[in-house]
Amino acid sequence: MKQLLIKLGNVDRRWIFILIGLSVLIPLLKPDWIRMPVKTTTNTEIVFNEISNLEENDKVLISFEYGASTKPEIHPMAIALLNQLFSKGIKVYIISLWPEGVIMAKDVVTQVEKSGVFDLEDGLNYVMFDYKVGGEIVIKNIASDFRGIYMQDINKKFIQDIPMMEGIESVEDFDFVFDLSAGVPGNAEWVQYACDPKNVPLSSGCTSIMVTDAIPYVESGQLRGILAGMPGAAEYENLVYNFMINQNNNKYILDDGKIYPGKATSRMSAQSLAHVVMVIFIVFGNISYYLKRKRKD
Amino acid sequence: MFLNFNFDIIGAWLVVLMTLSIFSYLYGDNIFYKSAEHIFIGVSAGYVFAITFWDQIYPNLLGRLFPSYVNAGYELELSYIVPFILGIFMILRLVPNLSWLARISIAYIVGMAAGLKFYVFINSNILTQIKSSAIDFNGSTLDVINQIIVLIGVLSGLVYFFFSKEHKGTIGKISKLGVYFLMIKFGASFGFAVMGRISLLIGRFEELLIYSSSEFNYATPIVSIIMIIVLGYWSFRDNKASENEDNATNELTR
Repeated sequence: MKQLLIKLGNVDRRWIFILIGLSVLIPLLKPDWIRMPVKTTTNTEIVFNEISNLEENDKVLISFEYGASTKPEIHPMAIALLNQLFSKGIKVYIISLWPEGVIMAKDVVTQVEKSGVFDLEDGLNYVMFDYKVGGEIVIKNIASDFRGIYMQDINKKFIQDIPMMEGIESVEDFDFVFDLSAGVPGNAEWVQYACDPKNVPLSSGCTSIMVTDAIPYVESGQLRGILAGMPGAAEYENLVYNFMINQNNNKYILDDGKIYPGKATSRMSAQSLAHVVMVIFIVFGNISYYLKRKRKD
Repeated sequence: MFLNFNFDIIGAWLVVLMTLSIFSYLYGDNIFYKSAEHIFIGVSAGYVFAITFWDQIYPNLLGRLFPSYVNAGYELELSYIVPFILGIFMILRLVPNLSWLARISIAYIVGMAAGLKFYVFINSNILTQIKSSAIDFNGSTLDVINQIIVLIGVLSGLVYFFFSKEHKGTIGKISKLGVYFLMIKFGASFGFAVMGRISLLIGRFEELLIYSSSEFNYATPIVSIIMIIVLGYWSFRDNKASENEDNATNELTR
């Protein structure tokens, strides 16, 4: 037994790659084999409640700061967020501070439009802007002079010709800011340069790797909850899905539209199984290391 | 059977090829990985350059300097000559005789960023965080206990980074406690990082599964088989070449 455990410590790393690969692949191929319950955490609930408290025709600024590399974690959050906002008749303003953010934003809006759940019109229900380089400098400018940065929307239409842009001069004219981020600029920059100084409520959906750095802002109330990585996305998706299917006579949800649960929930089984495999490897690796050290002594 | 090809399908095949090329690094460094790496860097640089010019420089800078030529909704603002010149200074880094001019632009960027960061950091990351580290005794017992733990963690963590006094005796014990708090933080960060990476792997696998259907002309299985054959042949040829090299060395030694 001891020999076997010591041998396990010397296993070729490619076997570990294969096992991790299989632990991800099998739940994706056979989702019915492994079903993991999704339990909502406080931070996700705070985000959902904050958005729920917004009123019809309120204005929400969403900043897309992620790209293809972090799409699996943040894209489901963005889709669920737009679903919740549109089902409450909230006006959505989309900006991108990452070069790929525009592509992500367009894809999210297209998916929500294609679902046929809402009757959406560009410039009436939402407006999208081009990517702007500069990160925190752009955020600082949005905080004081939105029109100094954005004069046209993504379709090159002047903002004075877009009715929903009326009265938008700075970040203070928005009722809520939501940041979807995977790095810098991200939620920290929104806290520091715009929402803290101007006292505008802010929430964020971010990658798992950013969570530990963002939690102090959540604890201090500078961020109103946080969607933390894929589990956060799955929890939020469930809340939004349950909210939408229980809406009777909601004038914003079309009768013939089909409401689907999002993708993050189905990915959680793969995530959980991969974690179990990794924990097993860590435990065996440590036992093997301990035995080897003992033998040397 | 005739295979259908349109831009969506070609895109799917490219996605599969690039994803599997990057994954092939797990086997070892190879031509697929190297090609994908170079293509990724080249395409990213080109995309960022184009999007930055057309979405930012053209409307926001040239639109203010030449409003009659670039109709971006702005009026003539001569003060924008300053960033225009600073931008040109940056490009002059490519001209050896004038490369020193770039230092002026860099100095401006660094100075401005430091100044901006100084204020916002003090406000959001120091003052507000100090405020939120204080214990609110009006909360529930669990909240108070939680806040006490946070406060102990903050103070002991700070003591660990206080190097003006030797870490011995009480200071040493407190700084050791700080190390434990830091380790918990790093452990949590590492756990979240691993979780993030697995999420990305799930995303890639999900797309590979979608593209393995007949709708995309079985892109994933076909590309995988081709890559395995090429990598197998490449590995076999590599082994043979190193064997020949060994034989030649042995011959020479004799």
